[in-house]
Amino acid sequence: MNCRRALLALLLAVPALASAGRVDVAVRDGHGAGHANVVVYAIPEGGKVSGRPRAGSIDQIDKEFVPQIVVVQAGAPVSFPNKDNIRHHVYSFSPAKQFELKLYSGVPSKPVVFEKPGAVTLGCNIHDNMLGFIYVVDTPWFGKTDATGNVALDGLPAGRYQLHTWHPFQTVQPPAAGVVVPKDGAVAAAFQVDIGETPRAAK
Amino acid sequence: MKSLRQRIVVFFTVLLVVVLAVAFSWISRSQENIATARLIAELEVGERVCTQLLAQRSAQLAQAAQVLASDYGFREAVATHDVATITSVLQNHGARINASVVLLFSTEGEVIATTLSHATARAIPVLSALTSGNGRGSAVVPIDGKPYQIVALPVRAPLPIAWVVMGFELGDALAGELQRVTNLQVSFVAQAADRSQLYGSTLPDRLRQPLLTRVGDAVAGSSVSQRVDLLGEAFESRIVPLWMARDERVVALLQLSVAEGLAPFVRLRNFLLGLAVVSVLVTVAGSIMLAGGITRPINRLAELARQIRDGNYVEHAKVETADEIGELALSFNHMLDGIAARESEILRLAYNDTITGLPNRARFKAALREAIAASGRTGQQGAVALLDLDRFKHVNDTLGHRIGDQVLAAVGERLCAAFSRGETVARLGGDEFAIVVPDMAGRTLEQVAACAARALGDPIELAGQSIDMNASVGATTFARADVEPLALLREADVAMYVAKQRRVAFVPYDAAFEQGRQVQLSLLGELRRAIENHELQLHYQPKLHLRDGSVRQAEALVRWTHHERGLVPPIEFIPFAEQTGYIRNVTRWVIEEAVRQASAWRAEGVEIELAVNVSARDLADMELVRHTERALARHRMPAHLICVEVTESGFMDDPQRALDVLNALHALGVGLAIDDFGTGYSSLAYLKKLPVQALKIDRAFVKNMVGDEDDRMIVRSTIDLGHDMGLAVVAEGVEDAASIESLRALGCDFVQGYFVSKPLPADQFLAWQRAGRPISPRLREPDREAGDARTASADA
Repeated sequence: MNCRRALLALLLAVPALASAGRVDVAVRDGHGAGHANVVVYAIPEGGKVSGRPRAGSIDQIDKEFVPQIVVVQAGAPVSFPNKDNIRHHVYSFSPAKQFELKLYSGVPSKPVVFEKPGAVTLGCNIHDNMLGFIYVVDTPWFGKTDATGNVALDGLPAGRYQLHTWHPFQTVQPPAAGVVVPKDGAVAAAFQVDIGETPRAAK
Repeated sequence: MKSLRQRIVVFFTVLLVVVLAVAFSWISRSQENIATARLIAELEVGERVCTQLLAQRSAQLAQAAQVLASDYGFREAVATHDVATITSVLQNHGARINASVVLLFSTEGEVIATTLSHATARAIPVLSALTSGNGRGSAVVPIDGKPYQIVALPVRAPLPIAWVVMGFELGDALAGELQRVTNLQVSFVAQAADRSQLYGSTLPDRLRQPLLTRVGDAVAGSSVSQRVDLLGEAFESRIVPLWMARDERVVALLQLSVAEGLAPFVRLRNFLLGLAVVSVLVTVAGSIMLAGGITRPINRLAELARQIRDGNYVEHAKVETADEIGELALSFNHMLDGIAARESEILRLAYNDTITGLPNRARFKAALREAIAASGRTGQQGAVALLDLDRFKHVNDTLGHRIGDQVLAAVGERLCAAFSRGETVARLGGDEFAIVVPDMAGRTLEQVAACAARALGDPIELAGQSIDMNASVGATTFARADVEPLALLREADVAMYVAKQRRVAFVPYDAAFEQGRQVQLSLLGELRRAIENHELQLHYQPKLHLRDGSVRQAEALVRWTHHERGLVPPIEFIPFAEQTGYIRNVTRWVIEEAVRQASAWRAEGVEIELAVNVSARDLADMELVRHTERALARHRMPAHLICVEVTESGFMDDPQRALDVLNALHALGVGLAIDDFGTGYSSLAYLKKLPVQALKIDRAFVKNMVGDEDDRMIVRSTIDLGHDMGLAVVAEGVEDAASIESLRALGCDFVQGYFVSKPLPADQFLAWQRAGRPISPRLREPDREAGDARTASADA
């Protein structure tokens, strides 16, 4: 699919709530169809993010990473429970985080902490087919689109935010979109993405 | 053209050669096509096998590369861009699998690490294509002009983060490997615009350079399959393109030696060729034998036919087979026997006299020729004797031809018995025998003749009769080789005639006989022509009847007016004609003419009785009677108007026969007068036997009777004798009136002579007779009359 420029469209203005607002994001492809599993996250403008990141987990089930894409806040520990009856050797050579969990089964004793934001590609040294992604973001407000291509980011303090999207197979990085989250209520945002075919990790 | 045998051999040989040649060329062409098709098919299979092998090799290479690409440490090094480590790993793994070239490319196509220079690495074509996908790629590409089989594999983490490329040279080793599997000659050629480079080949070194010079055309050619000639060795070639760019390409050249491909066919062809040669030889030999089987007997028959031609009838054809040839040989033998039998019969007839069994004239001549030749060689004297039986005709006429033949046979036998010492006795014909004495051995001709005479001395006893045979013999001798047999025979003949004339038993040849003979001989020929050319004519001398003065009789006398010499006196040819026997022809002509003339006169109302002279030879021939009879019948003449005058000696030779003839004539009604009566030795007894009507007193007595008393007395006695016997008397040679008166007084019936009239031609005679018999005024020519008269009645 051809690369296209993503268009930012801010369409609806919703009355903001006092304490926390919500952002409804719709991600569509060139044909207007919703795209699932697109990572959407909001970075507050000028604001500092505080709080302890939630831990993440990515299972290995039936020689697959489940879910394939996991989003975590930077600094979050991620565990890699092996739910197969075979062993795995999970590794990453990604610049955001390089690690390896040598042949193990069950849940490794120590979760892996991802400090640097960025994409981490996961593989298994024994099973070339296994391909997973951990996307590390520097914000607690993130989500993944559902099957219809929609995701709602909730609990955002009112304020201005930059909305970002990411997908491992995207051909173009859509530009961030600025939204103003009201105190109460929701703001809507939409992205157009161009996602390539899912490459096979190995033959 | 040539012999049957050659034609048979040539036909079968040519037939076989043509058939073999056609078959051979057809088989050769088919073989060639089949072989070429087989080569091409083999090359096609070879191409598939090679392609498959290259693919397998590519897979193997890929697997090897995969090992590298999957190595965790390597991946880590790649992921961390640890170029030094990467390079060392590349070298290590490359060496491990004998890769010629190992490279690492980023997914963006940047060279990360390589065993080559970066520039060379970046220049590798199709790399981007190979490394664009997800999986792996392989290709044959030229690197620095050298062909390599390369594989590209992604380094995954687990998504591709780089590409490992490994290259393996296409060289002799791979070519050899392919050859082992495909059995083809394999060469790898990289071809740029301006040059071709051979990188690996199974061809022997000597063929590599020629291949490069030829491969340009071959590779450039559109056809994938073609024939390439390398140093005279043909290769069926197939081009398998491995890589192609605009002006550069890499091909694998698969080749099969045509000679090797054709080898089985060549063996088959050589076998066929050998078979052809053998069969041609066998055919030639066989047809020669077969043809020989046909022609050899034919040639033998031809040879036999030549022998038959040459008169050899002894050898017969061998009948070896029961086929047509054998039948032919059998027929040949029958023919040969037939020819031999007929020829011996013909020879017998040709050279033997059938009556006596003696050699005939032809064989006699041959014997004479041999004897002459022998005489020429040895110098001995030989002789030829001719023997003619006297009065044999009489035997024949009186006793019949059967007895006559027996007499001849008996004579032959006796002569054979008498001459049995190398002499040849032959019967030449008629009653003529001949004897050749090759060697006289001191004998004289007289002795030889006497010997012959002795042989005939005793009478021959036949059919209860005793027959006396005498012979006249003429003989001559020879002692040289250059004598003509015919001349000898003629000499003997002449001598024999002389003997006949002289009435002696034997006369040896004398050259003196030849004098005058030539004239006579030519005269004989002319006399023959005289009859044919009507040069003879008759003159008529009247006989005056003294009692009433009438002329009712005349003597016909022959006159010859030669076309060149004029009048030929009878004395010059009549005796000669009598000698040679030709007088018989003359006499017949005279009788014929006399009868015709008498008949003519009779038709004019004048009946004249004509007398003709007949010689002794005529009287030996019964044919005279038949001739006379025919002449009379032809002219419807009564016989009494014809009379024959015969001298006494005329019938003394062979009185019995002469008597027969005269009696026969008499029986016809023809009259008979005795001519020249008084000069011969005839006895009155004979005269009494003869059917005679008249006597003619010889002129010798009449001429002198007036003056000579003796003659006068003879005349008177003769007249009286004639009258006593009831005969008319004619006086010849009357030359004066006194004689007439004297004769009339003596009672003579007729007179004839110049005083009455000379012989006159027919028209003058008639005129004279009608004019009333004027006495010839020309009494003064006594000589001529005397000669004439004598001639007219001459009988030697």
